[in-house]
Parts: sequence; C-alpha cells; structure tokens
Amino acid sequence: MSADAATKPWPFDSVLVANRGEIAVRVLRTVQKLGLRGIVVYHSADRGALAVTMADQAIEIHGSTPVAAYLDAQQILAAAKSSGAGAIHPGYGFLSENAGFARAVEAAGLVFIGPRPEQIELMGDKVRARNFVEKSGFPVAPSAIEDDDPASFVERARKVGAPLLIKPSAGGGGKGMRIVRDLSILETEIERARSEGQRYFGDGRLYVERYIENPRHIEVQVLGDAYGKLVHVFERECSVQRRFQKIVEETPSPALDEALRSRICETAAGIARAAGYRNAGTVEFIFGQDGEFYFLEMNTRLQVEHPVTEEITGLDLVHEQLRVAAGEPLRLAQSDIISKGHAIEFRIYAEDPARGYTPTIGPVLRLHAPQGEGVRWDSGVVQGGEVTSAFDPMIAKLIIRGSDRGDAIRRADKALRETVLLGCKTNTAFLRRLIAHPAFVAGDVHTGFLDANPQIATDPPMPSATLQALLAAAAISTRPMRDAADAIPDLHAAIGAWSN
Amino acid sequence: MKRIESKLNTTSATFLANAAHNRKLSDDFKEKQRAARHDRPQRDVERLRAQNKLLVRERIQQLLDPGTPFLELSSLAANEAYGGEVPGAAVVTGIGIVSGREVVINAGDGTVKGGAWYPLTVKKAVRALDIAIENRLPVVHLCDSAGGFLPQQAELFADKYYAGRIFRNQCMLSKMGVQQVAVVLGHCTAGGAYVPALSDYNVIVRGTGAIFLAGPPLVKAATGEENTVDELGGADMHTSISGTADYPASSEEEAIAIARDVVAQFNRQTKTKIEWQQPEAPYYAPEELYGVLPQDIKQGFDIHEVIARLVDGSRFHEYQPNYGKTLICGYAHLWGYKVGILGNNGVLFNDSALKGAHFIELCNQNRTPLIFLQNITGFMVGREYERRGITKDGAKMLMAVSCSEVPKFTVMCHGSFGAGNYGMSGRAFDSRFLFAWPQSQISVMGAEQAANVLADVKIRQLAKQGKQLSAEHIAAIRDPVLGEFKRKQSAYWSTSEIWDDGILAPSDTRNALGMAISAAMNAPIGDPKYGVFRM
Amino acid sequence: MHHAFKLGEAEHNVELSRGPGVYRLHLGGDTIAVKLADTADGRSWLSIGDRHVEVVVATRGDEVFVQFDGEAYELRYRHPLDRLAASAGGAAEDSIRAPMPGSIVAVQAAAGDAVTKGQTLLVMESMKMETTILAPRDGVVDAVAFEKGQTFDRDALLVMLKQA
Repeated sequence: MSADAATKPWPFDSVLVANRGEIAVRVLRTVQKLGLRGIVVYHSADRGALAVTMADQAIEIHGSTPVAAYLDAQQILAAAKSSGAGAIHPGYGFLSENAGFARAVEAAGLVFIGPRPEQIELMGDKVRARNFVEKSGFPVAPSAIEDDDPASFVERARKVGAPLLIKPSAGGGGKGMRIVRDLSILETEIERARSEGQRYFGDGRLYVERYIENPRHIEVQVLGDAYGKLVHVFERECSVQRRFQKIVEETPSPALDEALRSRICETAAGIARAAGYRNAGTVEFIFGQDGEFYFLEMNTRLQVEHPVTEEITGLDLVHEQLRVAAGEPLRLAQSDIISKGHAIEFRIYAEDPARGYTPTIGPVLRLHAPQGEGVRWDSGVVQGGEVTSAFDPMIAKLIIRGSDRGDAIRRADKALRETVLLGCKTNTAFLRRLIAHPAFVAGDVHTGFLDANPQIATDPPMPSATLQALLAAAAISTRPMRDAADAIPDLHAAIGAWSN
Repeated sequence: MKRIESKLNTTSATFLANAAHNRKLSDDFKEKQRAARHDRPQRDVERLRAQNKLLVRERIQQLLDPGTPFLELSSLAANEAYGGEVPGAAVVTGIGIVSGREVVINAGDGTVKGGAWYPLTVKKAVRALDIAIENRLPVVHLCDSAGGFLPQQAELFADKYYAGRIFRNQCMLSKMGVQQVAVVLGHCTAGGAYVPALSDYNVIVRGTGAIFLAGPPLVKAATGEENTVDELGGADMHTSISGTADYPASSEEEAIAIARDVVAQFNRQTKTKIEWQQPEAPYYAPEELYGVLPQDIKQGFDIHEVIARLVDGSRFHEYQPNYGKTLICGYAHLWGYKVGILGNNGVLFNDSALKGAHFIELCNQNRTPLIFLQNITGFMVGREYERRGITKDGAKMLMAVSCSEVPKFTVMCHGSFGAGNYGMSGRAFDSRFLFAWPQSQISVMGAEQAANVLADVKIRQLAKQGKQLSAEHIAAIRDPVLGEFKRKQSAYWSTSEIWDDGILAPSDTRNALGMAISAAMNAPIGDPKYGVFRM
Repeated sequence: MHHAFKLGEAEHNVELSRGPGVYRLHLGGDTIAVKLADTADGRSWLSIGDRHVEVVVATRGDEVFVQFDGEAYELRYRHPLDRLAASAGGAAEDSIRAPMPGSIVAVQAAAGDAVTKGQTLLVMESMKMETTILAPRDGVVDAVAFEKGQTFDRDALLVMLKQA
C-alpha cells in the first residue's frame, strides 16, 4: 500500500465514504483499487444498494428522513471512529461543501478528502466568491448591487449595459426577475422589479447583472495540491439542462476553439491558484454567444460529471484527490495532461420528461447496463433495488467516449438504446431524441435549449407496429391471459376461430 | 397406413361442373344459415338494444374463448316449420370452448318471438342436453325466454320428450356430476325458472334478469298481490334474500364474464384415451369434395374419394379390400384421433353387411370410434338375396350398430334410403352426432319410386271401380305426391325436424367431426356387449 | 374476454388465444400469430407475424414493463371482471344492507356526502361485536336509513348510494 507506487505509504489505510448511490460506488472503486479499505455509511433506505454490498464495511446511520441521515455529521464521524477510518470522502452533495463538516473531520484527526474549510467557505458564499474573483482580476459578469450604494444604483446599473437582468436581492427561482434590453426603460423596470420583490419576498432591494442571451454553461476541472501547485484538467460543457439541472455534459466543449479553450482553462486555473485551492474543484463560467465568459461560481468538490474529464485524459480524479489529501504533491505538470477524443455523460434519471420531468419511482425489475468500447456506466442501482422518492432521482450516469464528437454521439445512441431499466420510467428515450436533434448534433445548444424545444420532451406518437409488439409481449406475460390461452385444448387451438 | 390414391381428374369437365353445382348448393345453404341467424325484424332488435341486451350471437361470442371454434348444432332447425317464422327454433345450441373447457351452449334467442319455446325449440334444447349427457359436457345456459308458446302448448308441454325433459336432463347431468351454469339475461318464468334453479351456478343481470314461477301480472290475477319485477324476482332479491341466484351482475357483459370465471372453476375432465397421433392435414384438399359429389342423387361416386378428403394425410388402412366391396371399411386418423370408417360404395349385399358387422365389432374391441359415411340406397332385394338371408345379415349389422359402445358419428353424404339408413347408424341408432350435407336425402325409398308406388295403388283402386285414368289424371295424382316426397326427403326438411345435428358444408365436415370426437372423449367407453346375432 | 391494457391514457382491448406452437393476439379485428421466447440473459425474442424483435419484459402485479426498440414502456393489465364491474358503475352496490341484525353505534356519513370506496359509513353492533360498514365504491350518499341507537333486522337497507 503506497500513495505512489514506489514512494511512501498512505497516511490512512481506510476511507469512509460519506455518501450514497453511484458516487459512493465510484469512490469505493478507486479506494479498493488502491488497496485501501472502503467503508460506507448507509441509511436503511439504501440497504442492498451496490455501495453497501461492495464496501469492506458498511455502517447504518439513522435520520428522521433518509437525507437527514446523510447530513448528520455526528453520526458519520462516529461511524468513522468506530470503523477506524483514516479519511473521509464526502462525494458530492450532502456534506461535501460544508466547511463545518470539513473542519470537524480534521478536528477528529481524520483526513478530509477535499479542499481546506476556508476555501469551501470562500467559494460557498456567492457574493464573496464573486468579489474575490473580480479583485483577482478575472472576468465576472458586470453587475451592480443596490446595497453597495443605493443612491448611485440606477447610474451603476446603466453602466452594466444592455441587455441586463434585474433581480431581487432576496429572491430566487426566477421570481421578480426582469430583462431590460432598452436602457431607456431601465428606471421604470427597476421600480416594477422593486414592487414585485416587495410583494414576493417582502424585500425591495435589487441588483442587476449583465444578461447573457442563450448562454452556455462551461466549467473547468482543476486539481491542486497542498503546496500551491495547480493544474486544469480541461473544460466540460454542461449547457443542456432541465429545471436548472444538468443532464448532458461533454468535453471538449463544441463552442470553443483551441485559443478560447486555453483561455478559459487558464482563467479557471488562475482563479483557483489565486485562492490557493487544494484538491479537485470546478470553476464554472457563463459563456455568451459572443465568446465572452464570466465567472459563475466554484464548486469545491468532485462534480457529478467528472467522468467525462477522466475519459478524455485517462486520469482517475478520485485517485488524484486521495493523493493530494494524503499530502502528496501533484505528480502531473500541466503539459502531462492531454485531452484525447470526446466524452459525453448522460444522467439517467427516474423521471417522465413528457410530464415536466416529474420524478418517478418504482422497483428496478430489470437492469441491463450497456456495454462495449467507450461505454462506462456509473450507477449505484442494482436489479432488484428500488427507486424511491427519498433521494435525487438520478439512477446512473452513462459516459461515452468516442474518437470525436460525432463518434461519441453515435455510440451514445447505441448505448442508450441498449440500456434496459424496467420498473420505473426513465429519460433514456428522451436522451436519444435529444442527441438526434440537429442543434445538438451541431453543438449549438444553450442553457435554455430544452425550454425552447419542448417537443424533445414530448412522447412521439406510437406507431401501430410498436403498439402491437407491446400488447403482444404484455399479453403473453400476463398470467390470466396466458393461462386462458394455454387452457385451450390442443385440437381447438389447432382449429382456431372456425365455425360451421 | 397408405395414402389413398385419388382417381379423380380435378381439371376434368365433370369434376369442375360438379364442383360448381355443389359449391352453389353449399352457398345456398350458407345463405339460409345467415338469414336464419341474422335476419330479424328491426323492431325486435331495437327492443333488445333499448334494454341494453346483446343479441344471442354477441352473447355467445363473448362467452367463448377467443380464437376457438364453435360447432353450432341444428342451425336450420324449424326453418321449414311455423311458416319459417321461428328461425333456428329460437334457440342457439352448440359446442364451444369456455375458459378452456368444452361445453354445450344452450342460448335462447330473444329476437325470435321473445325467445318463446315452440315444440321444436324444446326438441332442440332437449337434444343439446342429451348431447351433454351422452358426452358428459358441462352446459352454459344463456336464458332469455318468454316461456312456452301457449297456442302450441299441447305439443311441447307434457310428453316424455317435451319441455319437462329439459329439466329432467338438467337433473341427470347434475346427478352425473356434470356441471352447469346459467346466466339469466331476461325473464325466466314458470318452467323457465327451473333452468337457473337446476344449474349448479347461476348469474343474474340486475334490471333485465328475473326469475319467478309467475310474473307480476299472473300473481296479481291469482292473488291480487302487486309486485314489481325486481321485487318479485330481480337480481338483488334472488342473490341476497332467496338464494335462488348466486352472482348479481350489472351488465350482460359482466354476467357473461362471471359465467366464464365460474366455468374456469369446473374441474377439467380426464378424457378417455384412444389411439391418437399428431394431426396432419389431408393430402387431398377438403375443398375438392365439391367436385367429388355428383349432381344427381341417383349417380354414384367412390367413397374413397370422400375419405381421402376428410382424414389425416388422406391415409387409410382398408379392411377386407376384396370382400363385400360395396361397403368400404377401414382405419384412419381424423384430427389425430384413430377412427374406424364405414362408407357406402353401392347397395348393401350379404357380404357387405357381414363385413360391416365384423368391422364394428373390431372397433368396439379396440376402442376405436366409428364414422359412418352414408350414401346408401338400401339392402339388396330379390329372391336370390332373401334366400341367402339378406334380412338376417342386415339384422346382424343393425345389432352391431345398436350395441356399439364406441361413439358413432354419422354423415349423410348423399342418399340415405330404406333400411340402409338404419344399418349405417341413422338417427334412431344414437350416433353421438349426425350431420348432413346440403344435397343429401333421406327417405324410406327414392321419391320417384315412392310416387310411382302411390300412383299405382290409386290407379289399381280406380281400376277396380272400372275407371280408366288418362295420362293427365295419373300425373295429377303422381306429381303432388312426388313434390311432397321430395320436400320431405331433403336435408332441409330433416334438419328442420332435428333428425340431425345440422347441415354441414362438406368442407366443414373434418373440423366438425374433430370437435365431435373430442367432445365424445369426455365420456368413458364401455365394454362391448351385444344381443343375439341371428346366424 | 374483455382483457385490456392501459398504456398511457389509452386502454386497449386485447385477447390472447393459441394455435399450434404459437399464441394468437386478437387486436381490433386482426389476429396475429405471436410468440415470446426467453433467452438466457433475460431478454426475449418476440415474433409478431413475420417480424422478430428483441424485447425485455418484467412484470409486477398488474404492471407489465416492456423494453422495445430501445425504449421502455409501462402497461397496466385490467382483468375483465374488474373492468366490467367498474364500467357498470352505478347500479352495482347501490344498496348497502345489514349483514346481520343489530343496532347503529355511529353514523359517519349523511345524505349528500361524497364518499370514496372504503370509507366508513356506519358502525353497527351485533352480538356484542362491532362491524364497520364501508362504502363499496366511490359515490354520493343518497340516504342513511337509521340513526344512532336504532336497531334493524338482517338485510335491512342501511345506506343508499348514488352516482357522484
């Protein structure tokens, strides 16, 4: 057991994964591959999940809800202690960006596989992060915050330039937001937004920012060690979103040429370096159709979509996380990291796209993961399991690698077609329609793409041949119908529907 | 078992002319059948629709398993009676598959005189229940009848085989452990009330179904008591209070679905095992039967050609091929079932009768069902044949046929005259099923022969009175007799009178026999035992 | 007969019979020879007429899940007796009668109340045992024949329902 084949041993011999589902499986896989002991905590709702079966030790935790259990730092720390874990990997979501948890882990004498608590704190506060990035000389979307100086707000807002977006400071969920394309009506729109903010949130304070029409979401993976060394691991484009959640992520971004690609990646690395960032993180940008991009936020953890980066670089990001957390210096120079081919990740959700992407639940009666060259299936769900409403409805991630984007799309269609998950409705058919859409094929997407093309989510009319096949399969598989048919005596079955 | 080698040229002018002629006869039959099944006064259909009732054929279709055959019995019963106003005798009977079980269906036709029972209605229903008894088949009764047709009550009420026999047969079935379910889809009044009451299970439709010994008007007349139909005998009263009915249903569809579920609870009978092999289609197409049959009743044809178009692979093991050659005997398989076949190739002589009796005994010994293919003008007559004992040889054949324990099936292929009808297991000899082809004829002798005999008698009477008859006079006596004779020897008359279980298009015969044999295998086969053969 | 599957909002009437070595699907007047042959890996070959397609089928209760041509579909089986009882609606179970003689302990529904299947309408007592009278179907209470404390005979009409 060693942190780096021929060098010194790991400072911990076991890692507790404070997460569930596919990411727990993902982390455990690397942990176990490295010869470390993998421990997982689980709520009874996840009993029988893949992570629980594959872990060297699984410790049940409790909560008023299943989610609450995974958010309970005390129980997790107790589990780490009782199991003798030397490190905790938080995965994504849950406690992964909780500075208090990171601090508590370290206070307990354990290694937190992630950034330092203060880095989480800095980047976790959107306003602080934005100010930090701006002060460090990196591009942020022009904006004006009313609270900074209410008297000059309108004037500062005008400087942001059109088009701009007025948002209530206290707001969220798009309520009270107004787009202004003509600055001559700026003041009346500000007043309207203020009264709406007052009405919705009881708070009329506002801020404005540059409105990016049909923006893309492009993010850059970074990796830093404890000694100030930091590299980027290229970008990911995550523009295809539904209900503000990513569903398809790919790398390289079809929107970037080499120069732009290198500019955005260097910018991200610069931001992370300025923060002295340690471990794996992601710097997110909003990318305009004009090629301008602005800092959006930084995620101080491993991302859901990290596998696409692994697929084009051959890196195991969890391995690198563990090494850095173990105090090892980065073994990679920027020039060692080479991107080859194209990778796309599809989030397989238990949901019904035709009904506004509403989550579905049900048993996993049949599960056949696709296989083949360039096909990776990251999932925590097994046949015989159950998709419940207790957690996020993501069932699996299908990651496809191809020699180029077209090749990846072709392979993806085949893999999605081969994916079988019976028992609850999933979005695989929708994903196939999405990647067949000419705009997607052309790489011409933005974060509002699915809203602008709602027909992709609609179930197409069913051909009669399909209906026939479904009814035939269903009829033969339904006991009362099959039994009735089987009960027909041989002679009468052979004669059929004859009458004299 | 070797294939019969057909000697027919299917492209010859004779064959084609026969085919056209007989196909037309078959089409005429199918048209009569269609009319009997479906042509109804519009108002009768509308009346049923207004009551949310299904037509009897719709009910049967819902009752039967999809994709399974239905062997309808006596579809043209009563078609030559009652001025043709009671098509099918106002009842549909047959054998079909319900929940995988072979059952007899006895379904009143409410579109004919409100489903009133005519004498032939009763005869047809009794015959259906006799079939159920003989073959141990469960029965599904679909009841929708106004009761006995009063003007003819004397012909349907009291005699041994009149309406009471229906209920007696139901009791016998129950005693034998053969189950019955009745679906009450209309009023079951008076005697009709016993049909559901004597069934092991019954279902009643709320609103339209009712069971009572006397309906509200009769009760009022008798005792002055006033009742609604529902109070007196409706679904809720009978299923929750009197216990006369078992399952209430809200619609005919539901009632029939419940009945299907009830039948699904019947234990499946273990069938009698007889020789069987995988079925095989005939090598010669059954459709060619139309070209085999001649256009004239007096014209003969080789019965081998018929056998070849009925049996599996057209294969036939002929018994005594060189003896008694006017009666062809041998083994074949039909829909897989091993059968013994007796078919006429001419008048019955002493040797043919002896061969037939012997073959019937063989089949009884080896438990092989018998199929009689009738085309018989009778036993040979004349001094020579009487001296050789044609009557006692014929008697042997009758004895063998009558005492046969294996099930018998008879098809009237062409002519059936004189005692030949008996020797070849005619109606009186309890064939399990008896079918007739459209052009077949049955009578004690040929029509012309009979007309001449009758005319001769008349002429001789008149001659005794010293009267001489002109050719016109003779024709005037002879022609009506001939006409009446022809009418009553036709298959349409026989089937109207229910002397058979229905006319069949020749090409349907194979399937009908297959279903008939299968049905018969629900009853055990007894050991052979005979009376005294006059030696 | 009257078997059906619900697929989305649509209900499809379908029957199954069999012929030698095949099943027969009866669908809208057509009869199609069909066959489903399982393979070792949980997939099946479905033959429909002369088409042969790969499917994966899983069932749970009355739900049938079919993977066909790269898409998963969910069908819900409806048994004829359920369908016909449901479609008959109103007339069925309109009169709720006393299963045995007794007295009313509590009345929990009044005329005009909309009730759902399984809802408690009355609580009665008989032979020192309490029995709860439940609504046999969704509907509206037409009349409640007894008040608390009153006694009744077997088969007495307790509650009448009408259509919602």
